[in-house]
Amino acid sequence: MWKKGLGLGLTAALAIGTAACGNSSNNGDASASAPASSAATSSSTASAAPSKASSGDKAVITYWTDDRHDQEYIKSLIDKFNAENKDNIEVELTVLSENYNQSVDIAFSSNKAPDVLRLKSANTETFVKKGYLAPIDAYVTDDMKSKFGSLLLDGVNTFDGKLYSLPNSGQTLRLVYNKDLFDKAGIANPPQSLQEMVDDAKKITAAGKSEGAYGFALNFKNPKSAFDRSIREILSLSGYQGLGYDLKTAQFDFKPYGQVVDYFKQMWDDGSVLPGAETLDIDPMRAQFAAGKIGMYLSFATEPGVYKDQFPTTINWSAALAPTLEGKQVGTSEIVSAGTWLGISDRSKHKDAAWKFMAYMYQDDFLTAYHEQGFGISVVPSIAEKAKNPDIPGMEGFLVGEHDSIWPVSPSVTPEGANYGDAFFKYMLSGGDVNKVVTDLNARYNDALAKAVEKGDVKIQPNPSFDPSKLGS
Amino acid sequence: MTRWTRLRENSLLLLPSVILTVALGIYPLIWVLRYMFYDYPGYGEETFVGLENFRRLLRDTAFWESVRNTFVFAGGKLLITVPLSLVLAVILNGRLRGRHFLRAVFFMPTVVSTAVIAVVFYLIFNSYNGMVNQLLMKYHLIGSPFEWLGPKHAMLTVILAAAWGAVGNYMLLFLAGLQSIPHDLYEAAAIDGAGPMQRFWRITVPMLGPVMQIIIMLAIIASLKGYESIMVMTEGGPIGKTEVMYLYLYKLLFPVATSGAPADQQFGYGSAVGFTTAVIVGIITAAYYWMSRKMNKVF
Amino acid sequence: MNEQTAAMGKPVPRKRQDGAAFGWAGARLAAIAGRAVLWIFLLAVALLTLFPILMTVTGSLMTNAELMGGGRILPSSWQFHNYAEAWRQSNFARFTWNSVYMSVAATVGTLLVAAAAAYVVDRRHFPGKSLYVGLQASTMFVSVGAVVLRPQFDLMVKLHLSSSLWGVILILISAHASTFFILLGFFKAIPRELDESAMLDGSGFIRTFYRIILPLLAPGLGVSGLFAFRHAWNEYILPLVFTLTDPGLQTLTVGLANLRYGASAAMQLNLMMAGACLSILPMLVVYMLANKSFMQVTAGSVKG
Repeated sequence: MWKKGLGLGLTAALAIGTAACGNSSNNGDASASAPASSAATSSSTASAAPSKASSGDKAVITYWTDDRHDQEYIKSLIDKFNAENKDNIEVELTVLSENYNQSVDIAFSSNKAPDVLRLKSANTETFVKKGYLAPIDAYVTDDMKSKFGSLLLDGVNTFDGKLYSLPNSGQTLRLVYNKDLFDKAGIANPPQSLQEMVDDAKKITAAGKSEGAYGFALNFKNPKSAFDRSIREILSLSGYQGLGYDLKTAQFDFKPYGQVVDYFKQMWDDGSVLPGAETLDIDPMRAQFAAGKIGMYLSFATEPGVYKDQFPTTINWSAALAPTLEGKQVGTSEIVSAGTWLGISDRSKHKDAAWKFMAYMYQDDFLTAYHEQGFGISVVPSIAEKAKNPDIPGMEGFLVGEHDSIWPVSPSVTPEGANYGDAFFKYMLSGGDVNKVVTDLNARYNDALAKAVEKGDVKIQPNPSFDPSKLGS
Repeated sequence: MTRWTRLRENSLLLLPSVILTVALGIYPLIWVLRYMFYDYPGYGEETFVGLENFRRLLRDTAFWESVRNTFVFAGGKLLITVPLSLVLAVILNGRLRGRHFLRAVFFMPTVVSTAVIAVVFYLIFNSYNGMVNQLLMKYHLIGSPFEWLGPKHAMLTVILAAAWGAVGNYMLLFLAGLQSIPHDLYEAAAIDGAGPMQRFWRITVPMLGPVMQIIIMLAIIASLKGYESIMVMTEGGPIGKTEVMYLYLYKLLFPVATSGAPADQQFGYGSAVGFTTAVIVGIITAAYYWMSRKMNKVF
Repeated sequence: MNEQTAAMGKPVPRKRQDGAAFGWAGARLAAIAGRAVLWIFLLAVALLTLFPILMTVTGSLMTNAELMGGGRILPSSWQFHNYAEAWRQSNFARFTWNSVYMSVAATVGTLLVAAAAAYVVDRRHFPGKSLYVGLQASTMFVSVGAVVLRPQFDLMVKLHLSSSLWGVILILISAHASTFFILLGFFKAIPRELDESAMLDGSGFIRTFYRIILPLLAPGLGVSGLFAFRHAWNEYILPLVFTLTDPGLQTLTVGLANLRYGASAAMQLNLMMAGACLSILPMLVVYMLANKSFMQVTAGSVKG
């Protein structure tokens, strides 16, 4: 008998609770000042709800992004736009926390595509290929052309002679290290060569193991993600393209990649890597770094923001250029995701309105503020010159310097079998012959490349005169 | 009732089921049977490739490894789940104080969503500072951290997690089956002097026969098909050590989100893989059904 | 000796079998020892079962850094506000409503469709009956995996249901084969004479169904309803794909998984745990309701 009462009671409680809190959370959504209330996944209307219902000439456009770190700032800009614009345009923001590319695919295939999209260097070409994006040549003014001129690159934001997006900011990649642990191990400076990194990791582990501190870690739960934030800049600084592509021959060659992996493997075999790193996701790793358990790792310029807000830390940490194969800087550290920011959907019914929003977002003031608040390193020359440096501890290490530059784009193909991240990580853990791994990867990737070229999906052009040391000048 | 009315009634009652089954159950199968001869990245062109997908399948070592992993996973999970849930069901079927409470307790894991399970089990089992290792080291049962989620033992951990989530489920099914055995049989046997073990083996097991056959068959299919819990826990495990067939297939269609670069969805090859896995599961199920036909006869 | 006489079918004086070798006192001791072992076993399994759930509860009351740092069972300071935070941040009320809506609709739909089909298959004759049963069985055993999501989704796009939970609901209902077989079993157990005589007496079909068949079918409906509800409630991949374009429609499973990502690019596991604890409650309610219906069970003389 009592069970029945309990069951009914719980149901009633849940029903009441749902009704009550349902109302309050709706009110919470409508107020634009509520912080993070409709955070990661809500398609929040940035303006008050009632205006949505009104008919007339109002154009409602949707903007999709997978950036989470800047969403509050973006939301504030959108609110401003919605309030100030005289063309009766209203923008809705949707922040997707994962599966961004798949969501876009599904949206376009079911005719529910957003009007404006966040574009990154890795997915822009694919989106153009799939016919998602509309060219913006007709909209771009001469002012804009001069502002962005040097950054409009083929294969980055221009395809087949048509422009699809404009740059804003990029991410630099650095070696992030714990100064306290370095001191404890008696190391004065961050490593300049991979061999030094291996040695340093070993020393740090020896000095810190008793307290659970280890020399190195990465988010190896997703090997490709781990390598794309570490080996990428090691290679580019060493003079090789960071994703295994050889720009001179326009073919994939993973030999240099394999060389770097060997050093990583050495660290693994030495026991210098945090135990369980093979299941470590990026945020648990950051948590351990913040707790002083990791000597060094490599990542994007998003880290200072993370240690400011999400994982406040008391350790002394800093960022330095990645080590190189030989200890010399032959190339430049690649600034990634630098060529694009916003783009317009080809299926949008409000292309003009979408452009007005896009142009609004690309204002100098906003781009400057974006840089100054540390959401990304501005790559637009006129902005970067004048903007103040962001006031986030640790950001100094990530600022664009003489050793950073944008690299030419490499084609992205889907090989048959394991991708390079999985293949190399498997080698790291279970050993084998790295040359065999390299040969196998080259064969499969170049095979896929040939097929893609045949289908017309990608275009490649060998550049025998490519010189990495000339980049950025 | 006229024949016509009867026919109309029958059709009406049967129609929803038929429509739904054909549209959402059979049509996808036909779709797969067609696309397994094509190369289709999910958008744009589809290219006819004939048997190429199957040739690729034969040389795809990762796939056959996943088949092996599936057998290990299913075997381990069944070995723990079936006997344990049967024993629990038998115990909780009899008169026992607090059995309703205990039934609810054992049922609880099945209501927790997989995403949460993944996170919790990570916190419990991760080798760096997981709960289990801390406890084991504290009581000096192990010297250095045990790599629960490392390449060597991830499969074991994943099996444990899956069994944890499944026992309550099968316990309920067995309970339902047990409740259909008339009590008089037990009472008569007790009067005749049969002890609890004898009652179990001579009454419970035979009477449960047909039900148990079906439940075990469902369990076999479910453990061969199950991949969601593995997906959220290890995403196929360090270097593919816990990658089971259906997870391998899922990844072909929904490549794991990495930093920015979208990989092509491989529907053509995926269909071929799907077809092959269905055949493998079908063979095993049929084999089991044939081998267990004895269970169908009630002694 | 007892086995012999039992085999001969002769009644044997009632005697306690267990521990009989030790005499009466020994028998009682063995019985108590047996019980103790039983209870130790039960409690051990219960503890192992509950431990991860307890961790979810304690984890929900920690700060994120403490939880991710790991190694603690009890929080150092009890963050009860995590629940309010999770509720607010994840739009919890809406997700719960979506989950409830979807699960109830899927369960009711499945029961109706399967029961109607089972009735016809058991009670009526029609051409192609074995084909139909074979079809149902095949959908249970033939599973080609996640590939089917694509054609199913395409179909829903054509029906304009691809961004509504009804797309998910229909797909869930279409997997009614196991419910169908369970209910078929129960129908077989209900003697035909019951409803046939009732209908001969002039009672209409609906009335017969309601007054005679339904009560006897109840346990079957309870079991399959519980499983259908649980299956729909825990469904992750299906609602994920269907709600990628409209986060407001997300169900609890999807919404909770997304809670891992908070405002600034990092996971908020503690909120996720709080959300998970909240989401267990509705399922428990359903379990208790269903428990009553099928534990009262069957045409047997069970004193369960």
